[in-house]
Amino acid sequence: MMNPIFLIAFPLLAAFLSILSKKLAPVLLLLIALLNTVMAIFIPMGIVGIGGFSFPYGINLYVDTYAQIGLLLVNGLFTVIAILNIKKYKAYSSVLLVALTGLNGLLLTGDLFNLFVFLEISGIAAYLITSSNKKPLSTFHYLVMGSVGSSLYLFGLIILYSMFGTLNFMDMIHQIQVASIDYTDLILPFFMMFVGLGVEAKLLPFNSWVKGVLKHSNTLSGPMVAGVYAAAISLVLGRLIHNLFLFEGKLYLVVVVLLVFGIVLGEAMAFASDDVKEILLYSSISQACITALLFVHGVIIWAVYLIIANGISKTLMFLVTNRAEEQTGNAKMDSLQGLFSNNKVIGIAFTIAALSVIGMPLFAGFVIKLNYLTVLAHLDQLVVIAIILLSSIVEGIYFIRLLIKLWYPKDTDIEPIKFHLSYKIILGLMAAVLLVFGTYSAPLNQLDNSIDQVSEEIEVIFHG
Amino acid sequence: MIQYAAILLIFIGLYGLLTNRNIIKIIISLNIIEIGLNIFIISIGFVFDGIAPIMTSVNNSSALIYVDPVPQALVLTAIVIGVGTTALGLALAKNIHSKYKTLEIDEVEES
Repeated sequence: MMNPIFLIAFPLLAAFLSILSKKLAPVLLLLIALLNTVMAIFIPMGIVGIGGFSFPYGINLYVDTYAQIGLLLVNGLFTVIAILNIKKYKAYSSVLLVALTGLNGLLLTGDLFNLFVFLEISGIAAYLITSSNKKPLSTFHYLVMGSVGSSLYLFGLIILYSMFGTLNFMDMIHQIQVASIDYTDLILPFFMMFVGLGVEAKLLPFNSWVKGVLKHSNTLSGPMVAGVYAAAISLVLGRLIHNLFLFEGKLYLVVVVLLVFGIVLGEAMAFASDDVKEILLYSSISQACITALLFVHGVIIWAVYLIIANGISKTLMFLVTNRAEEQTGNAKMDSLQGLFSNNKVIGIAFTIAALSVIGMPLFAGFVIKLNYLTVLAHLDQLVVIAIILLSSIVEGIYFIRLLIKLWYPKDTDIEPIKFHLSYKIILGLMAAVLLVFGTYSAPLNQLDNSIDQVSEEIEVIFHG
Repeated sequence: MIQYAAILLIFIGLYGLLTNRNIIKIIISLNIIEIGLNIFIISIGFVFDGIAPIMTSVNNSSALIYVDPVPQALVLTAIVIGVGTTALGLALAKNIHSKYKTLEIDEVEES
């Protein structure tokens, strides 16, 4: 019988075993990553109690379509990054297994304190992964910010525990509904928890660590932090925003203003930069804010698709840039000029990812952007739409400028940058996904906001 | 009342975090925040005149006043995680020192 706990337990067990044999560690990592991806496909839905306690006591895991999509995305991207880096970063196998444990735990857990524990586990693994950048001060900065963030999350959670006497996610939501408590009493804990998760989710103004960590990133840490971690944390934050926080009143205003500033500043910083990695990292900050903004307005399904498209695009772009940087020494636009003239396949994959992020027709990003803007229009959020459209124009300008630089070489001969065949195949496949869903979008319309089943589940449990 | 002391500790830690530029002092500030938070969590479960939540031959009635054991379990977990983070922070501090020969953030240039 398949149990969702295997997705957490197997990587953790493998992490311990991998310490015993350094030779076996990379093999274990690949095996477990592949196994987890397959298990995520067949994962059974519903609440899974652990330790024989019945709901709402003890810790339980919760699987619905939302969690399953997250697991597939996170484990899939994780496997891709692990395959491409396994030779160079063998020593990080154990850490990567711990990271996988933490990320799967984040997506599966139905207990808010357990969420904090997984946040710390995945956080500690992330600090260790970023230590491969050989920039210890940036990693230290990340560690301090991450620790303060999770402390704030815990502080907010404990205030909620003292008010409602439960740590279970669904029970907490139910207790809040039953108590019909004034929302102003919940502003402090909710805001603390939002800020705590916002640090990891790269939301403004809690994201000062991002530049140091991603600017010096390599083919392992860059895609891992900007792709896999960003996707997992955004999904967790989305689940909490949509079901628990339900921002309203002044808190809604504060959060929306923060997120809108995040979008505008992220795009402006990306526009002003001439470093390919900086452009990508600022763009991912702005995308993270857009995703959170969609969750705040209840646009669940398109926010999830945006996370998927972003996860794939950013992983692809960071892999290409960081691989090229390993050979040129820096990621300045001028140093990488003409990169794609000798690497057509890589160039086409990168171009597809970039155009998808901008939201050009024919690519997945366009379908997603068109749909969430339509939903926002139905909700009368015209200011938000205007800001997203404005940011898209800025995004379009700097990405097109970047693509032109990368495709057309300078007059002088440049040393060709080599990409391994495995890169070409995997990146080609990832780009193909963006292209297929951009041209054939019917499957995307099959799912709707009901992928998140938490409120229905609460209805069934407490009201029969 | 003890909650105020805990919150005061958290703010002292935050102050330390914002004003110090020495890596070891930053780690200590982080620990002060964590200690303050742990005391806050423990104080949530405190019940005046409450006894340990264990049924014995002497204390065998559910009518007795017990303290809440959940926050104690939570604090235990939080302490372990805090130790892990501190150890990692110190390892990074050692790394920074061996690379840049200083623990002052202002003297390190890592653009």
